[in-house]
Amino acid sequence: MKNASAQVNITINGKELQVEEGISILFAARQNDIYIPTLCHHPALSEWGGCRLCVVEVDGSPKLAASCVTPVRGGMSIVTDNDRIVESRRTMLEFLFAERNHNCMFCPRSGECELQRLAYELQMDHLTVAFSFKEFPTDVTSRYMAIDHNRCILCGRCIRACQEIAGAQVLGFHHRGPKTMIGMDLKTERSNSTCMDCGVCMQVCPTGAISNRFRSHYAVKGHAPTSEKVESFCSLCGLMCPTDLYAGNNQLIRVDGCLSETAGRPDKGQLCYKGRFQVFQAPAGRLTQPLVRQPDGTWEVATWKDAIQIVAGKMADIQKINSGKALFGITSGMVSNEELILFKELMEKGWSAGYVDTLDGRYFRNLAAVYSKGNGAIAEASWKTIGESDFVLIVGGNPVRTQPLLTSLLRKRNYEENLKLAMVSHIDEQPSFITDYIHVHGHHLADLLRTLAVEAAALRKDNPAAGSKQSKGTATRLSQIGLADKEQGMFTSMARCYAEAKNPLIIIDTAVTGMTDCDCIAPILDLAKLKTAKGQEGQNLLILKPAGNSIGAWRAGIAAPSAPEGKDHLKGGIVLMGEEPALDEDLLGRIHSSEFVAVLTSYALPEWLDRAHVLIPKPMWMEQDGTFMSLDALEKAYRCRTLLPPEGVRPTWESLAAMEESIGMKNRIKSWDELRKKTEEMM
Amino acid sequence: MGKPKIATVWLEGCAGCHMSFLDLDEALLDILPLVELTVSPITDFKDFRFPEVELGIIEGGIGNEEQLEIARHLRSKAKIIMTWGDCAVFGGINTLRNWIPQKEVLHRGYVASESTVGGVIPMHAEIPRLLDHVIPVNQAITVDAYIPGCPPSPEVIAYSLTEILKGKIPVLPSEMIHFD
Ligand code: SF4
Ligand code: SF4
Ligand code: SF4
Ligand code: SF4
Ligand code: FES
Repeated sequence: MKNASAQVNITINGKELQVEEGISILFAARQNDIYIPTLCHHPALSEWGGCRLCVVEVDGSPKLAASCVTPVRGGMSIVTDNDRIVESRRTMLEFLFAERNHNCMFCPRSGECELQRLAYELQMDHLTVAFSFKEFPTDVTSRYMAIDHNRCILCGRCIRACQEIAGAQVLGFHHRGPKTMIGMDLKTERSNSTCMDCGVCMQVCPTGAISNRFRSHYAVKGHAPTSEKVESFCSLCGLMCPTDLYAGNNQLIRVDGCLSETAGRPDKGQLCYKGRFQVFQAPAGRLTQPLVRQPDGTWEVATWKDAIQIVAGKMADIQKINSGKALFGITSGMVSNEELILFKELMEKGWSAGYVDTLDGRYFRNLAAVYSKGNGAIAEASWKTIGESDFVLIVGGNPVRTQPLLTSLLRKRNYEENLKLAMVSHIDEQPSFITDYIHVHGHHLADLLRTLAVEAAALRKDNPAAGSKQSKGTATRLSQIGLADKEQGMFTSMARCYAEAKNPLIIIDTAVTGMTDCDCIAPILDLAKLKTAKGQEGQNLLILKPAGNSIGAWRAGIAAPSAPEGKDHLKGGIVLMGEEPALDEDLLGRIHSSEFVAVLTSYALPEWLDRAHVLIPKPMWMEQDGTFMSLDALEKAYRCRTLLPPEGVRPTWESLAAMEESIGMKNRIKSWDELRKKTEEMM
Repeated sequence: MGKPKIATVWLEGCAGCHMSFLDLDEALLDILPLVELTVSPITDFKDFRFPEVELGIIEGGIGNEEQLEIARHLRSKAKIIMTWGDCAVFGGINTLRNWIPQKEVLHRGYVASESTVGGVIPMHAEIPRLLDHVIPVNQAITVDAYIPGCPPSPEVIAYSLTEILKGKIPVLPSEMIHFD
């Protein structure tokens, strides 16, 4: 038997090398820092061998070999660079340029295109063949990506990425010969296909064929690409996907997933449409200077110092008359742990505020049974277990919306390994890849879950009374809930799958935790506990969170333990700290009649201009440092800023610290490092 | 040999390449005394009966019969033909019309354009006919030197001329090649 890592001797360009048997010539060359140009090859994808840019001469054979798909053999003599090879490569390039429209001066990818770069490198300064001038369609039906088939070189990278990384199997070659085109499912357009807009096809596309509709380097940088790469991560949903951000002229140009870096993650560096595209969609009205509302209702620019003074003064006035009970602090869950800690300190210690909460406090309170301190508190499952479970039950709304990446991973495992998936929901929206799906009305969801827990308990293998029959009363309860026969069958199969699964996972969507009258959590816990040992409760429970750092805010103890009460709630003075424009309708309604509203925000949104009294600008997420927590609270990471904030916009912590100073708080935080250290200790 | 004679023409292009030439600024003062510029849009010659020249420079692709004739004529008079810019080298932005039927192109331009009322497609013996496609110069005549770029930067233009003055046919090194 051959040893897996048997070594063979080969020569490349006369240099004798010892390499592992069976690896490709290309790989052997790269290992030894010998350059071979490539186009259809991508380090994160399987080899295809279609472009023939990587050809080399093997043992002087007249036929050149594609090095990416030719394995090394002992004694092989390889030449990577001579006139004949270069000529052959240049001819392949010429064909690619002649075949479709590669007029770079109006291509979004110009300056960072691999095809173009190779043409420069191989000095393809003209074509010896005639252009075909055949027209291909352009697909702009997705709001995120455009596909211009006129720029496509049919390298198949996108197809392989969609299959191997996204696991979506959306893309494929359609038609034959010169008419070949990339197709979406069986169609030509992205809209209404099963594409999830993850954009990994765009990331690996070497040309301008698939491009970002929000930004091209050309629009930002002109002729000379000067973008800088910053290693970062996305903080939009708590999965903290590692990213490479490219910025030029202080503008974000491109967001790439880290395809080669798995770091224990089950996702292979895929991103979702939020992390890749929504980050380009800033609302209008960037706030760059503090604004103060005048007695006549108009807004006027103020200095930062004055604005801080006004906020501190107003809050003190209200406090004097009505005590701290009339002061309120509300923060979004999209901000960093540091901002949260300082905000809490200012509100609670500085102002003895009556009520401090997060925008998503309701979700927290519904989950009180999970997060209650003391004996009841349970740990949550690591989101990464999604890669190991043998049965996944989703409770609540369509996870394609809330957690596109998790959903994509589920779909991938479903396609590739036949992972069993089931869903019960009060929102009628069935994901296409989930067949076991039961929809009930919101007020029946808890009942259904309760019945499911009873049924699953009865079907458990270790239950001596377990039989193949439904437990008593189940059918009646299901009929009361309104389940048709077919759904009752599905119910039984769900209960059985759950009972028999070795490693089942329950995902609670935000559509459940966000319900106004939510009584679903207790039955879900009962269900979960059936499959965990004592002390391990919750290890099979994945709770989705509404905001990127919800869990940070909850762990910092900011979410209020009980719901606000009384008509005077939010009537007094309020400081709001926000990042996302996802505004809470209820909150907006209430603060209309508040005496004083100050908002720390990146954008002068109409909602704020309508209701607030002072607006203090803050950097947006890419413009300041901070620590964030993963949605399962198991990881933390510190991110440095990628862009500079607009001139004059101070980091949020400075504004909060200045408020502390102006009310003369003792033991205040005086520097970022101090704040960072304190945050580290507290969370 | 006296000063080498140069003729330059501007066919289907935007004048950008000639602008890049003028953009040489002071460097232009170093080059101009070394050559004799004959027919050129810069010297505002209206007469395209070229003298015999050492170097013929072409900006722009070939999109109509007149341009085709000028290119052929220049080829017959010039020892070396050098093409400047993506339009001359590849066809460039003008080739956008190649993906659209010619009838439609003319109709869009002369009849259906938003500012036109009662437009007609002009036809006259003195108006050069469009070719089916805009083509790069090397599809019509033999070309000796290719300087792509949209436009080539002044540095690249300078390089192309100094190489010629050294008696060489310029071949751009990788870092000077640009298609945008
Ligand atoms: S895909 Fe690349 S080579 Fe083609 S036009 Fe765009 S930049 Fe140029
Ligand atoms: S965006 Fe993602 S899912 Fe859609 S086609 Fe591309 S790789 Fe496939
Ligand atoms: S769209 Fe891009 S990645 Fe896909 S085949 Fe065409 S050039 Fe290659
Ligand atoms: S899955 Fe979450 S962390 Fe990853 S890119 Fe999407 S929003 Fe960002
Ligand atoms: S890179 Fe080897 S054939 Fe394309």
